[in-house]
Amino acid sequence: MEQIGNMIGWETVKMVVGLVGVLVFVVLNALILTWAERKVAGHMQRRIGPKEVGPYGLIQPIADALKLLGKEILTPREVDKPLYYLAPMIIFVPVLVSFVVIPFDASLQVMDINVGILVILAFSSLSVFSILMAGWGSNNKYALIGAIRSIAQNIAYEIPLLLALLPIIMMTNSFSLKSIVEAQHGLWFVVYQPFAFLIYFIAGVAETNRTPFDLPEAESELVAGYHTEYSGMRFALFFLAEYTNIFIVSAIAVTFFLGGYQGPFLPGIIWFLLKSYLLVFVIMWLRWTYPRVRFDQLLNISWKALIPLSFINLLITGGLLKL
Amino acid sequence: MVCLGERGVCLEKEVFPVKFAVVEKVLDLARANSIWPMTFGLACCAIEMMSTAMSRFDLDRFGAGVFRATPRQADLMIVSGTVTKKMAPVLVTLYEQMPSPKWVLAMGNCAISGGPFVFEGQYNVIEGVDLLVPVDVYVPGCPPRPEALLEGFLKLEEKITGKRRFPGPESRW
Amino acid sequence: MVERIKAELGATLKETPVGEADYRERGYHLFAEVASADLLNVARFFDERGFYLAALICVDYKEYLELVYIFSNHASLCKVKITLKIDPAKPVAPTISTVFDCAYWHEREIREFFGVSFDGHPNMTYLFLHEGIDFYPLRKEKIPVSDEDKKALGAFRPGEGEDTFFVNLGPQHPSTHGVLRVVLKMDGEYIEDAQPVLGYLHRMHEKMAENRSYLQFLPNTGRMDYLGPMAFNLGYVTAVERLCGIPVPDRANYVRVILTELNRLSSHLMWLGAYLADLGALTPFLFVFDDREEINDILEPVTGSRLTYCYFRFGGLYNDVDDAFVAGTRAFIERLRSRFSLYEKLVGGNVIFTNRTRGIGVITKERARKQAVSGPVLRGAGIPMDIRKSEPCAAYGEMDFDVPVGTRGDALDMYQVRIREMENALNIIEQALARLPEGPIMTEKAPRKLKPPKGDLYHTVETPRGELGIYIVSDESDKPYRMKWRVPSFSNLMIFPELAKGNLLADAVAILGSLDLVIPEIDR
Ligand code: SF4
Repeated sequence: MEQIGNMIGWETVKMVVGLVGVLVFVVLNALILTWAERKVAGHMQRRIGPKEVGPYGLIQPIADALKLLGKEILTPREVDKPLYYLAPMIIFVPVLVSFVVIPFDASLQVMDINVGILVILAFSSLSVFSILMAGWGSNNKYALIGAIRSIAQNIAYEIPLLLALLPIIMMTNSFSLKSIVEAQHGLWFVVYQPFAFLIYFIAGVAETNRTPFDLPEAESELVAGYHTEYSGMRFALFFLAEYTNIFIVSAIAVTFFLGGYQGPFLPGIIWFLLKSYLLVFVIMWLRWTYPRVRFDQLLNISWKALIPLSFINLLITGGLLKL
Repeated sequence: MVCLGERGVCLEKEVFPVKFAVVEKVLDLARANSIWPMTFGLACCAIEMMSTAMSRFDLDRFGAGVFRATPRQADLMIVSGTVTKKMAPVLVTLYEQMPSPKWVLAMGNCAISGGPFVFEGQYNVIEGVDLLVPVDVYVPGCPPRPEALLEGFLKLEEKITGKRRFPGPESRW
Repeated sequence: MVERIKAELGATLKETPVGEADYRERGYHLFAEVASADLLNVARFFDERGFYLAALICVDYKEYLELVYIFSNHASLCKVKITLKIDPAKPVAPTISTVFDCAYWHEREIREFFGVSFDGHPNMTYLFLHEGIDFYPLRKEKIPVSDEDKKALGAFRPGEGEDTFFVNLGPQHPSTHGVLRVVLKMDGEYIEDAQPVLGYLHRMHEKMAENRSYLQFLPNTGRMDYLGPMAFNLGYVTAVERLCGIPVPDRANYVRVILTELNRLSSHLMWLGAYLADLGALTPFLFVFDDREEINDILEPVTGSRLTYCYFRFGGLYNDVDDAFVAGTRAFIERLRSRFSLYEKLVGGNVIFTNRTRGIGVITKERARKQAVSGPVLRGAGIPMDIRKSEPCAAYGEMDFDVPVGTRGDALDMYQVRIREMENALNIIEQALARLPEGPIMTEKAPRKLKPPKGDLYHTVETPRGELGIYIVSDESDKPYRMKWRVPSFSNLMIFPELAKGNLLADAVAILGSLDLVIPEIDR
């Protein structure tokens, strides 16, 4: 074992193990979240949600996944084949990479890169490509409109997202997620930066295309948006990516503002997951409560409110730090 | 070579030395428990279809409450209402856009036989959706009650797995 | 008013006499038969005096075809029937779509069902029917559609422009609540033009009416507008009663009001849920369905069905209501009152909702009249017109309620009008329950076989969606000679193209939702 390890380098082994772990987590997370989403929705809507398939309907997501696996692999005739095939696979790259740098616990992190947050932000912009490819390649007007909306939305909200995280980076003088978490040993950053947290959270919800910002897949307007033409496993991949994205947005919020894995009594990983899933719940709660905003309103919120606010916040933080 | 489903995933037997009967069974179980209907309301019966998905009857209990707006992601087409001659080509297209394995549930007398709109000299109603697409389960009524539609779902599950989920009502005749 | 119009119309028409009809029997005050050269003048005459074109009907009398124009008025009760005889061998008539925009749609309908072509109409293509039908369905004899006509009718082809593309909203689309199809010409996210294509649910109700006896047709009424079947039931039953002169006992009249209002509540609730679902909020949909189920719990033991009620009979009711019904209704009123505050907080007070609906789809009073919209849409546009007030049937005349109107005419106004109408409905039910008289529910004088006297009748009632007009021509047989349904959603939909123009796709969905359309009623 030792020798093999030395031969290919411990780092690589760690990477491989980590990646496998991440993959397992991604799938598990999506399974749990789909179940939770249906349960949360159910209880908010005065019904029970999945109940008959397994205890409390817990096996429901597995049944769904198996069913999607067993579906015919269908390629519409008119699609642009390379783009259509690649889109659902590419949507996974940013998702996986983001997981690599998130610290689940003090020692549970695949890699502590000293520019961790930059990696996440850089790669998360990649998901736009995938959506554009899906929208364009599907050769469907709804899908195309969905994709175009998605791009405008992602570009608009990436800026406040980044600007909301910058004050924290200025305060800790580090891009490494781990050191950011360590810096919150005393007080969580949400106390110092409540506005930044709010801005980040709103932008994060928008980045994941969830209600009230779910315009790219607005069901009542665009049928299913960019994945209108996708079926079976390919559709499942989009689904998986969506839920993983929700988790990542929450996880970053926890890492930056809510003290990451730090907390009394319980082990760090539990704290981390607890906080993250709490935020995930809030996102679901929003989805089942609010209507959708209109496209121009969506852009206005970002360009006219969130971006100026986050700039002001950044300036104030900078000024205070200099003092 | 063995195919799962009509035109489903095809696997070479030599490459996958698995017991296919078992795999098929597990998949069938999964399919029966996750029937996603298409959002496809035609007429009056559609309202009762919605009622079935709502709080009181809650179709989602059986995992069938995920109404998908696009046929590509749906497993079941509930024909809930009258099919007219103008609608027929659209309906067939929608059916063909669904990936197999797929099912059709004819809800209401209209979908079954044209219902109350069959009379001498009628010129616009298709007398039964089974003239257009193969139908798996018929749920009669005008409109059928939500309980009847639920029973239709149970029947469909029974058709897929060969087993009934709940004990059925005792027949008195 | 009637006198004045009679004098002025007589002066305009010169030779043609203007007759006065018995309003109680016929449903209109004045009638006149004009020549086709005069028609446009007559239309302008009514346009100048603030009338709207309530209905445009064609009747095939074998020797001649008759076009019937019913003009009506928002301000005071005055209805005028103008008829125009045309030759069935060469059916041509002048169009009045240049004066009344809504005629554009009615004329297209008559074109495909009767083969009458309208001179000067810009677009005589299929609206309801499809190319496979090779005769004119509502003509009494089977007249084949000539190849030439067929070509002209099938000429509707959306072609793509340079920077524009077409999006088909429907026939299977989550936001059209059924099988409406709207062809949208889009420039990016903006709509340049919208063309409704109907008939995906054309179920031949009008043709069926000619094949069935009056009673046999009764169940059809509940299937036309499945969200407000009681009002359609009521309209049909009262129309036939009016035609045959059947009296109705007091108790039946009160019960009719209670049930129609309960049904109006469930229809408006459904609208509320569906509208919010259109705007992206799914949860309210389930909440309103909860309330609807409560209404069903009350109505089901009495009427025997959950959706397509067929409860009123000529001369009374099918079944008497009992104490459990009264108690249940009272309890339900309490429940719904408390729910309103919840809806108000969650929906009316929601910033996203108000921002999405304010200033969207503004209907001016003038456009509302020209397009003959009715019901909550008309009231939202600011015209206080409610047929329950102006022409009360059943026991509506004895009820005390106000007519809510909007001030801006936008989608938010439509929402508020409907919410207030629901509160009104609760008040009406309460009043009717308090005054519910004892007595029989069915008149003894109802004839077994209905054979109404010769003549016609235009009867209107207020359905949850607006003015329902029923035009019946009787030829003394037990089947109607012709029955035309002037349905509210059809007219309300026709204002959609002009509202959608220049708006975003998302707004179009919001506007379409605010009109509250029920497709089988449009298509009939
Ligand atoms: S079966 Fe009855 S309720 Fe159902 S669509 Fe036909 S007419 Fe309407």
